[in-house]
Amino acid sequence: MAVIGIESSAHTLGIGIIENGKILANVKRMYPISDKGMIPMRVADFHVKGVKKLLLEAFATAGIGIDNIEAIGYTMGPGIGPCLSVGNITAKTLASKYRLKIYPVNHAVAHIEIAKHLNKFSDPLALYVSGGNSQILGITDEPFKHYRVYGETFDIGVGNMLDNFARAAGLKPAWGSSVAKLAIGGRYVPMPYTVKGMDFAFTGLQTKAIGMLKGNSASDVAFSLQETAFSMLCEATERALALLGKRSLLVCGGVAQSQRLKEMLRSVADSHGAKFGFAPDQYNADNGAMIALVAEKMFRSGKRSCSIEACGVRQDYRADAVEITW
Amino acid sequence: MAIRLIAKGAEAEVYRTRIFDIDAILKDRKPKAYRIRELDENIRAARTKSEAKTTYIADSIGVRVPNVLLVKRYQLYTTYIEGTRMSSLMQQGKSIGNRLMSKVGKYLGMLHNAGIAHGDFTPANILIDAKGEPWVIDFGLSSISDSIEEKAFDLLLMKRSIDCKSYAYFVESYSSKASASKAILARLSEIEKRGRYNERA
Repeated sequence: MAVIGIESSAHTLGIGIIENGKILANVKRMYPISDKGMIPMRVADFHVKGVKKLLLEAFATAGIGIDNIEAIGYTMGPGIGPCLSVGNITAKTLASKYRLKIYPVNHAVAHIEIAKHLNKFSDPLALYVSGGNSQILGITDEPFKHYRVYGETFDIGVGNMLDNFARAAGLKPAWGSSVAKLAIGGRYVPMPYTVKGMDFAFTGLQTKAIGMLKGNSASDVAFSLQETAFSMLCEATERALALLGKRSLLVCGGVAQSQRLKEMLRSVADSHGAKFGFAPDQYNADNGAMIALVAEKMFRSGKRSCSIEACGVRQDYRADAVEITW
Repeated sequence: MAIRLIAKGAEAEVYRTRIFDIDAILKDRKPKAYRIRELDENIRAARTKSEAKTTYIADSIGVRVPNVLLVKRYQLYTTYIEGTRMSSLMQQGKSIGNRLMSKVGKYLGMLHNAGIAHGDFTPANILIDAKGEPWVIDFGLSSISDSIEEKAFDLLLMKRSIDCKSYAYFVESYSSKASASKAILARLSEIEKRGRYNERA
């Protein structure tokens, strides 16, 4: 029997099907991003229109039907309210119609768990970097088993910072990779560097970098911005690794698609004799498979199904609020 | 000169050594392979210089800190202090006395009055000597700044690491010492409300 997961926290609607940890399907449909950004209601409409077709596509890819599903997971948060609601309502509808167990899943925990699963790590330190989030997490047993946030951004996520800069520089989406392309051949110009222990901040860097677009080569600015931001993340991560003595390090989330960031983090892990891992890009971008994976873990560990009435969404659902029952 | 590695952190390698015939700690900021050279050198040089300067100022205003002995581009020699980190004592389950917490609060107030934000003001950077006196160590992330925000972060880091009662003694003594304590504590509450420390239900 398999478990299905629905992800709809932002611009990606993703559906995944998992059976005993094996990924049978991971299909997605992404709202086309323009330089105007995202209007939440429009993105939610886009997801509503696509969800039925995507569900059928997921079943076709997995080669199974709804009769083979025993539980469903959906992203409870964090994310954009109207978008989250689409996955939530879809999951509740399926759960009540087909009498499935239903599990609300934390998006950040799901990103870490899928990378952990694919790398077969047992107790890694995780750097979770995406548009809205940048956190350093590891499992602790006190006062209950959960992902403790050891370090995190004081203001915006590193992905949003790269996006904002890219928009100001007139680049095209996807912004992270556009910045990386622009950075090729750039030279270093000094920029603000803000790390406090295991925490970091990006708005000062963003403001400075955008201001520097006047009077400097855009390539130099992009290069320096990327190097500075990633060095900050690496320094905070290295401090956590040294402090906690974890034997493995993984990076996950949308910004984990950056080759440069992975190369730098591998160097950090190597210098501490720790293993380094990451998931293939389709699992770093938002996806349904990670939601199905965590829902399956919740289900198999004996966690009680959520009652339909109690299943909601929480835009600011933090990873450290989740009890890890597996 | 005998030299012995005693800690390898993310920031630097720390050695016990002797210099000028004095028991000393050498903090050596080694290159980080993940960073590009220019950025790496800037960070290491700036932090070494800033650490030397703020440690020296702290000493001159009467905060118990190691003495600066020698400053090189990436290396800093300070006097060796025999003691145990407050964080280690806490891990061993030993209670930290109220008098000691008050003193730590007073020291932070003095640092802030002198324009110094410590930058990593946690129990791991408070050394307790055999007489039970606290020493403030590791000014590696410190800055000389008129920023209320950076000072509020010093309070936040300590607040996150100790229990409520210890914090009460700490902050009471801090407030009576730090001239801008009102504004700094107001900023602390604001930071705590920014959402990353509390869930907005």
